[in-house]
Amino acid sequence: MELLIAAGIGLMMAVGVYQVLRRNLIRSAIGLIIISNAIHLLLIYAGAYRGVVAPYAFEWAAEGRSDALPQVLVLTAIVIAMGGFSLVLGMIYIFGVRYRTGDMDKVDQLKY
Amino acid sequence: MMPEQTAYSHLVVLPVAIPLAGIALTLLVRGNRRIQGLLAFASMFLAFATSVWLLVEVWLSGEPIVFHMGGFSGPFGITLVGDLLSCVMAVMSQLVLAAGILYGTGCRDKCAQYPTFYPLFLALGLGLTGAMLTGDVFNLFVFAELVVISGAVLTAISDDKKGTEAAYKYFYISQFAAMILLIACGCLYASYGTLNMADLAERIADDPDRPLLPIAIVLFLVSMMVKSAVMPFHFWQPDFHTAAPTPVHAVLSSVVVKLGIYGFLRMTTLLFPHEAEAIQTSLIVLGSIGAVFGGLGAAGTYDAKRMLAYSTLGQLGFIIIAVGWHTPLALAAAIIFAFNHSLIKAAMLMLAGAVGSRAPVKTAEFSRIIGLGRTVPLAGVLFIIGGMALAGLPPTNGFISKLAVFRSGLEVGGYYPLIFLAVASLVSLIYVSRAFQLIWLQPIPEDVTPKEKGDLLVAPLSLISLCLLLGLWAQPLVELGHDTATWMLEHRSDYIDAVLDSRDRFFEQTWEPPPSPLDPQQAPNDTGAQP
Repeated sequence: MELLIAAGIGLMMAVGVYQVLRRNLIRSAIGLIIISNAIHLLLIYAGAYRGVVAPYAFEWAAEGRSDALPQVLVLTAIVIAMGGFSLVLGMIYIFGVRYRTGDMDKVDQLKY
Repeated sequence: MMPEQTAYSHLVVLPVAIPLAGIALTLLVRGNRRIQGLLAFASMFLAFATSVWLLVEVWLSGEPIVFHMGGFSGPFGITLVGDLLSCVMAVMSQLVLAAGILYGTGCRDKCAQYPTFYPLFLALGLGLTGAMLTGDVFNLFVFAELVVISGAVLTAISDDKKGTEAAYKYFYISQFAAMILLIACGCLYASYGTLNMADLAERIADDPDRPLLPIAIVLFLVSMMVKSAVMPFHFWQPDFHTAAPTPVHAVLSSVVVKLGIYGFLRMTTLLFPHEAEAIQTSLIVLGSIGAVFGGLGAAGTYDAKRMLAYSTLGQLGFIIIAVGWHTPLALAAAIIFAFNHSLIKAAMLMLAGAVGSRAPVKTAEFSRIIGLGRTVPLAGVLFIIGGMALAGLPPTNGFISKLAVFRSGLEVGGYYPLIFLAVASLVSLIYVSRAFQLIWLQPIPEDVTPKEKGDLLVAPLSLISLCLLLGLWAQPLVELGHDTATWMLEHRSDYIDAVLDSRDRFFEQTWEPPPSPLDPQQAPNDTGAQP
C-alpha cells in the first residue's frame, strides 16, 4: 500500500509538471492544481504514517488511527491553493481579453 | 488548562492583529479614498509602534515573549514568538510598510485609487509581520502565501501594462516555492511529528539521522531562496519589481525579500544548526555570485526602477554572505545591513518613482526621464544621499553596514567573497552616479513637457533622514544587531524553553491520559479530546 500511494503521488506530480510546462495557459493552470493536490495527498500520507506513534498522541489513540493534524493542515492548504488558483484563472482571463489568445508564447510583452 | 500568560504576552499579537483590523476597516470606508488611505496609514503606523514597544520590551528583558493562540499550551497550538530576531525584522518591515502606505496616499498612480489597494497593502504587511513573528513552520507557509498572493494582485493591477504578465510569472514561481515549502513541512512532520519551531529544534537535536531530514532542509532552503531571489532563483525578480506600482515596489524590493533572510537566519541558528555548515557554504557561494551579478545587471539596465531591483539582488548578496560567515560579528552585520538596506532601497525607489511620475507618460525608463529630475531638486538631494548610502559612503547608514560586513569578513578570513563584495561596492557607486547624472544633470529634452505635479516626497524624505540619523548615531542599531546575534548563537535553548515551558508545566500538573473509548471496561462517554 505504501508503495502504491508513493507511486501514485509521484505519477500525479509527473502529470502536473508535464501540464505546467505546456504552452497553453489553461493547461498549465490545471497542472498547477494537480501538483498541489499531489502535495496535499503527500501531507495526508505523512499523518497516516505507521510504525511511529505521533508524539503527543495517547497510546490508545495511536492504535489503528491516523494522526488528525495533517488533515487539518491539508484543509488550510486546500483553501490557500484555491485562492491561488482563482487568482491564476483571473490573470488568464485578463490575458484572454487583452491578447485574445491562450498561447503562452503570444503573451510576450516581457520579452525585450 | 490555560498556559500561563504574562501581562505582556498579548503584545506579540498586536503587530499582526492591528493590520488585520485595518483590512476590515479600510474595506468599510472604501467609498472615500482619502479616509481609506489615512486609516491604512494609521493602522500600519500603530502596528509599527506596537512592534517597537515589543522590541524594547524583549530587548530590555532579554527573554522572548511567547503567546499561545487560543490558550492551547506549548507545541499543540499555534504560538507567536517575539524573540529579538523576529522583533527586529518586524520593526524593519513595518517601518518600511508604513512609509510605503504614506507614499501611496500621495501617489498619482491610478491603481492607488482602486478600493482594494489599501486592504491588499495591509494584507501584505500582515503576512510579512506574521511570517516573522510566528513560531510554527506551517504558519510560516500560510503567512508567506498571504504575502505572495497580495503582492501578485497588487502588481497585477499596476498601471504598467506589463504588470499582469510579471505577476503571472512571479505567482507561478512563488507558488512552486510555496509547494516546496509544503513538501518540507510534510517531510518534517513525517519524521518528527511536530511543526512547532522550538519543538522541532529540540527533536532534531535529539535525533538528527532521520532519512527525510536532509530532503526537508534542502527544500526549505530552496523555497527561502526563491522568496528572497537569491542568484539562481532570481529570474522573476527584476520584471516583477519593475512592473509593480511604486509604493508596492518600494516594499517588495526592500522588506519582502528579507523574508528569505529571516528564514536563513532561523535555519542556521535554530532549526538545523548541525547542518548549518553546508547551508552556509552554499549561501556564501551564491551570495558572492549574486552580489557581482546584481551589480552588473544594475549597471547595464535601461530603467531606473529596474536598476534598483537588480541592485537589491546585489545587496542581498552582502547579507547572505554575512549570514554564511556565521560568527557573532557577521550575523550582527547581516542584521544591521538588512535593516539599513530596507530603509535606503525603499527611499531610493520612491525617489525614482516620484521623478517618473513627472514624465508625460508615467515610466522610469532612463531614455524617457532624462533631465526630469530638474523639476524636483529636493528629490535630487535626497537621491544623492541615498546613493551614497547605497554605495556605502561615510555619513550615512550604508557606510556602517558595509563596514560591519567587511570587518566581519576580515575577522573570519573570507578573502575571496570580500573581493567579490569590493567589486560589487564599486559597481554600485558607478550605477548610482550614472542614474543621478542622467536624471538630474542632463537638460530636459525640448519635446518633453514634464507634469506640474508628481508624487509627494514626504515618505522618502523621512526615510532618508532616518538613514542619515542612523549613519551619524549608529550606536543603538549596532548594539541591537550585536545583541541579536549573540542571543541567536548563545541562547538557542532560551527560545526553546520559552515556547515549551508551558508544555512541561502542562504535563507536570494535570496530564493524565483520558480513558480509552476503545476499551469497553472504561467509561465510554469521554471522547478523549487531545490536549
